[in-house]
Amino acid sequence: MSVVPQGGGAVATGGGQATGNLYDVVELLLDRGLVIDVFVRVSLVGLEILKVDARIVVASVDTYLRFAEACNRLDLESGRKAPSKLTDVVGEVTEGGARGKTKGALSGVAESVADALKASTQETEERHKEPASKRERPVRHRKD
Amino acid sequence: MPVYVYSIVSRSHPQNLDGLHGVGDPPSELRTVVGEKLSAVVSDAPEGLRPKRRDLAAHQAVQERLMADGTALPLQFGFTADDEDAVRTVLEERAEEFAERLQTLEGCVEYHLKAAQSEEAMLREILTESDQARRMNEEVRSGRGGPDLPLALGELVAKEVETRKDRLNAAVAEALGGIAREETGYKAAGDDFLSVSFLVDRDQEARLRAAVQKIADELGEDFDLRLRGPLPVYSFV
Repeated sequence: MSVVPQGGGAVATGGGQATGNLYDVVELLLDRGLVIDVFVRVSLVGLEILKVDARIVVASVDTYLRFAEACNRLDLESGRKAPSKLTDVVGEVTEGGARGKTKGALSGVAESVADALKASTQETEERHKEPASKRERPVRHRKD
Repeated sequence: MPVYVYSIVSRSHPQNLDGLHGVGDPPSELRTVVGEKLSAVVSDAPEGLRPKRRDLAAHQAVQERLMADGTALPLQFGFTADDEDAVRTVLEERAEEFAERLQTLEGCVEYHLKAAQSEEAMLREILTESDQARRMNEEVRSGRGGPDLPLALGELVAKEVETRKDRLNAAVAEALGGIAREETGYKAAGDDFLSVSFLVDRDQEARLRAAVQKIADELGEDFDLRLRGPLPVYSFV
């Protein structure tokens, strides 16, 4: 377990922080922020592919079987240390997110945009055809 | 000449951009478009701009500087206007709305929290705590049990995963909700079960950090909490 507060209470005033913690907040820049609908947005095709959700639990046969298989391969006797034979399972499970490999750094995000472009799905492209102002925004809970 | 727009601030904001540069390669030069009451930080818009690391970082660095010196409305990455006049028009036409928002956000920063638990750790926990799941798992492994058993095991485990995720989300929301002015959820990806942004007053930052640390201590070493901030208030403009 680790908590990684950035900035240490001091407000960052330069690029140091900007590059340091961007990976975890890249969706803030890309999905939120002020949108001015008369302005034009540069194309971001392919970026979403980097945030593919590998963890979403949907009630599907595939998910159930994947979980069952992962459980079957778990060695409860071995304690907390993951036995090496588990590596392939875990790798398989998390590869969609690409998070583990790039945690804490932006390396991979921008560099792989080109790769992501090639792999971008039809769905992703469809989403980008919508004007920015019409894009779905997650629900905000306002505190009184 | 199209301009890339970074942020909107009140005209009285220092707008000190020394040492910073804009998006593009070579990096563009930052300047301001000044309206009656508001200013916009802009640069020339590079042709064929793509969301590269350096561009995201440049966008972010501008917001961080403006945030350090006052209140700002950070634009979403990637917006360009036809020319400076188009920016000026927006500054005037929506002056009241922007000024009001700037006032509301005065003294506030954003914090973003992500929390993850490795899937292996979570499955291990479920098998340890649920007698039923463990029994079914053992049956499947031993080769006994019918062909439907893996599916039933998976369904049970999936349900447990969801329950745990919801429980953790609720616990975190409860622990931090009283500190933040507003909060807004993001879709958690990968191993993350939580991705949420908080709008906090600057004088509440220490309290937020301490509360997150406490949650982290309670959750234990299987969990990975990443608290990022103070950040520009992207999620609350």
